[in-house]
Parts: sequence; C-alpha cells; structure tokens
Amino acid sequence: MTVTAVVLAVALLGLSPTAAGPNIKKVALIIAQGGLGDRSYNDSGYAGLTKAAQDFGVQIKAIESRDPVGQGEQLLRQAAKAGFDLVITLEFTHFEPLARVAPDFPNTKFSILNIAVEKPNVVSVIFKEHEGSFLAGALAAMVTKDTKIPGINPRKIIGVIGGTKSVGIDKFIVGYEEGAKFIDKETKVLVSYSNSFGDPAKGKELTLAQFQQGADIVYQVAGGTGEGVIAAAKETGRYAIGVDSDQDYIAPGHVLTSMLKRVDLAVYDLVKRLVQGSLKGGAVITLGLKEGGVGLSEMKFTRHIIPKAYVDRVEQLRKDIIAGKFKVTDITQK
Amino acid sequence: MQAFTDLAFATLRLTTPIILAALAGLLSQQVGLINIALEGMMLAAAFAAVLGAFYAQHALVGVVAAVVTGMLVALVFAVFVLRFRANLIVAGLAANILALGGTGYLLQVLYQTRGAFAPPGLRGLGTVHIPGLSQIPILGPILDGHSPLVYVTWVLVILTSIFLNRTVTGLRVRAVGEQAEAATTVGIPARRLQYGMLLAAGGLCGLAGAQMSLGNLQLFVYNMTNGRGFMALAAVFFGQAQPWATTLGSVVFGFFDALQIRLQTTVGVPPQITQILPFLSIVVVLTWVSWRRYRARPVAA
Repeated sequence: MTVTAVVLAVALLGLSPTAAGPNIKKVALIIAQGGLGDRSYNDSGYAGLTKAAQDFGVQIKAIESRDPVGQGEQLLRQAAKAGFDLVITLEFTHFEPLARVAPDFPNTKFSILNIAVEKPNVVSVIFKEHEGSFLAGALAAMVTKDTKIPGINPRKIIGVIGGTKSVGIDKFIVGYEEGAKFIDKETKVLVSYSNSFGDPAKGKELTLAQFQQGADIVYQVAGGTGEGVIAAAKETGRYAIGVDSDQDYIAPGHVLTSMLKRVDLAVYDLVKRLVQGSLKGGAVITLGLKEGGVGLSEMKFTRHIIPKAYVDRVEQLRKDIIAGKFKVTDITQK
Repeated sequence: MQAFTDLAFATLRLTTPIILAALAGLLSQQVGLINIALEGMMLAAAFAAVLGAFYAQHALVGVVAAVVTGMLVALVFAVFVLRFRANLIVAGLAANILALGGTGYLLQVLYQTRGAFAPPGLRGLGTVHIPGLSQIPILGPILDGHSPLVYVTWVLVILTSIFLNRTVTGLRVRAVGEQAEAATTVGIPARRLQYGMLLAAGGLCGLAGAQMSLGNLQLFVYNMTNGRGFMALAAVFFGQAQPWATTLGSVVFGFFDALQIRLQTTVGVPPQITQILPFLSIVVVLTWVSWRRYRARPVAA
C-alpha cells in the first residue's frame, strides 16, 4: 500500500504544471477503467480535453492509473495538490472518495461524470441516456414494420440486451421502450440481461434467441457483451443498435444506428466554462438531446436502406423533446 | 417444435467450449491434479486463435496456434506444479491471472485497444453442413450447421472414454490418479503421465478457446471466457472425472443456460431468478452426487 502511494506520488510529481503563466488554467483528467485506447468512453473524454486545450490554450494532463477504482482517493488528492484548477474524473466509482477529498481543497474545482456529488466545489455531469434511447426505440419501431428493408420480418417485435438488471441500465431500456411504443403501441420489446459486460458469447446467444422469437432489431446496452449482439446481427442478416460511441462501423450495414453519449462534449464544455469563469461548483449539468450530449449516429452505412420519412420522423421527435412538447421518462428521477 | 430444436441447437453450441475444457479438467483429475488453470489456458488460446487466423489469413492456423498456446500455458503450469512442487491452487490462479493480464497487455501494446479485437478480414471456422442430415426431422435442424469444432468435440469425448477405459496407458493414468506412489512402485512412469495429461489438457483448452473466438464468434474480447473454465471444473466434479458423466454435467449446464436465455423473454420471471438457473442446476446436481456418495459409503463394522 505504502509502495503504491510512493510510486503514485513520484508519478504525479512529474505533472506539476509549473511552467504555466498565472492566467493559464490547468486541467487534469483522470482516466477511468478501461484506460486510454478503449476507442470509446475514455478516448472520447480525452479527445474533448485536447480539443479544449487547442481552443482555449489551457494546460492539460491525462492521469492514468493501473487501478483507477482502488486508487481513487490518492489520484484525486495528488491531482488537487499538484495545483490543477480543474480535476475531472471519468471514473464514476470516484463519487465516494471525491466527497471526502473535495472539501479539503476548496480552491480546486472537481468534476465527475454520470453521477451527482453534492459538494460546493464539485460539478457533476449527467447524461440523459433515456432521451437518446427514445429516438433509437422510435427508429427501430418504424423499421421493424417495413418488410421492404432487407432482413426485416412483418412482426412488430424488437429487442434490447442489458448488461445487468440495474437502474443505470434500465434508464436506457425504459427510454427505448417508450420510443418504440410512442411510434406504435403494439410494438413488442423483448428485454434480456447478460449479467456481464464482457461476455460476447452470451450476448450473441441472447440476441439469437430474440431473433428466433421474431425480433429483427436488437439494441445493446452491455459493453463488450454487445460485440456478440452485433456479431449475431451480422451473421443472420438482421440489425443491432450500438451504444455510447459510434459502433456503426463494426458491422457496416448491420448496425442500424448507435446511441451516442458525447463524453468529449462534456469534457470540452467543462473546460470552456472554466475558462469563461462560468463553472459553478455544486451544480449538476445535464446533457440531453438539447445540449447535443446524447443522440443518434449519422447512420453512415444504413442511411441508404432506411426510408427518409423515418429519419425525418426521428428528427422531428428530437425537436419535439427539445421543445418540451413531451418528456421521456427518466427512471433515475423517481 | 421449432422452439425445441432451437433450444437443443443452442445447447450444443453453448456446451461445446465447456465440454472441451471439462475433458481437459478430467484428464488432469485422472492423474490426481485439480486443474483450475483451465480458464487461463482457454483465454490465452482464444487470443492466439484470432492472431493466428488473422496473420495467416486461415482459420486452421488459428486453431493450431490456439492448441499450441494452450499447451504452452499448460507446460508452464506443469513445470511449476510437478517440478517445483508449487501449490496446485496457487499455480492455477497464477496461470489464470497471467493469461488475463497478458492478453490484456498484448491487446494494448500490439493493437492499442482494451476492449474488443476484431481485425477486418478475420476468417472464422464457418459451419459444417452434412449432406442429407438437414432432411431428417428434429435431429437434422439440431445437429446440422454447427462449427466444425462442435463435431470434433463429440469425437473427442468418445476417444477420451476409450483412452481411459480401454487402453493400457489410460488404465495407467487412472492408477496414477488413484495412488501415484503405488503406481510408481510397479513401474508406471507417474511423472511422465502427469506431464502428458496436463499437456493434453492444454491442447483441449486450446480447442475450447478457438471455438469461442473463431468458431462461435470471430473476435476476441478481454476476459471473454468469463468463468467457463470453472463451469467445466464443476462438471468434472459432477461427473467424478468420468468422460460421459462429465459431458452430461456440461450439457446440463449448457441446457439450463440456453433455457434461461429463452425464459427471460417468454415468461414474466425477473431476470435475476432465471439467471441463477444454470448455477442452481450445478449446485443441486453436485449436492445430489455427494449425497449418493455419502449413502454408498462403506458402513463401519
């Protein structure tokens, strides 16, 4: 334990932002489990940070750890001691150590994603995944009825695979179901859980079973398990819906769309607010369709097979949600 | 009927890597070694399979790479256990951690990714269609159209059974498992047989890994074996290291897994309940096995 602490301290010594002038803001980004190079969540966050550095001339530092969960408190504390103006953590399990560390550094701003931490110098960022999932469900409900599209059967059945039965995952699923029923009340949504985020064989098996029960489009909310969902869609000539990052390229033509979570945008926005002096501690920033924080992919490989009317309808729904014409249920707000 | 054949087909597919790893586990058990390194051997092999198939542009090379890798991990495990007398459990855990960390590290270093590795143009093993088989009602749709390794697996079950029960070496292997020292005193090369069986176990786990990353899917995902090596070990205990009984144990698990997948979307049972079915089946069956053994124990005079 002591050894780890020493190693960590030595590692962090190198990142003291001494060369910066008095007006240049310094921002640290703590990388979550999975690390840089995950082509998804962490890389997206880091991309937002580097873009912000170019646009606003801030000094940035990405902090990677072999064990970001276990070393949470040390990482946060050392980063704050190193004199950063803003410490953003992408690791959502840091909510507990952050609540302990933040009060010790009142002049440092902290930020955490995907969970709210109520401290005067912490800014929390929450994504409205239910809104993006609503659009995915609406699109799926329209496509599943259109037998002119290859691989689509006449039955109004679509599916979704969740990683675990939990509120965080059901937030996506409930939004998806709501979107589907909004288009057609008779749409049946099959829901299965893989009980793992890294088991593609299980993901494939669950998806094939849903296909056998008449589904032709399956939304994956299950991380690495989702690779199996997409593989099953490709193998049987049906469709998957990707999640978090744009997964359309994984099986071109068989990933109908992806529900994007713009972590890059969230990080960029935090730095922007810091530079403009509008970063208020104790606030919860919610990024939904309105802010462009969630949404559907550009459908590069499927746009030509989806009738334009459906895409337009989805776009109209997006505008209606932004305009507040109706609300998508957020089960975390109950 | 369609639902039944779908279920049976899925059971065969789900069971294959578990049966292969269970055969590996039972061969180890037969020479008196509990092999908890099955998981690690499978995982390392699954990774090697994708690499081999990708660079050689041929799935068969991937299978060979997987078998060799499984045997290499097995060799390291065997040297530590048999030569340096390392604790079986500790050495097994070490092999598993090494495989998990090693594949994760290589993914990062070689391909700058931490999640999935699915190189474009990766060719899988494909499926086998036996002429005429699909015409047979019920059996046809269940047995036809699997990955070639599914059929290989059942041949290996038969061969393992013949090996252990009908060949001299097989009988010697069992003697080593019963009482290694006694076997040595009658001239059986116990140590050599232990090495041999562990290497064979590595090869079988290699096939299991290849089935996962090239047969069923054409990709590698970090920790994609996800505990299947331990399921196999449970099947070995269930079958008391006998080939057919162990295979039955694997099929029971695979069946309940295939069943729970379908129950999730057909009956209104919470997923938490259906998901425990395969594991519950193992607990129930193991309890039943040990109860029978308890009943059958010799009564003290």
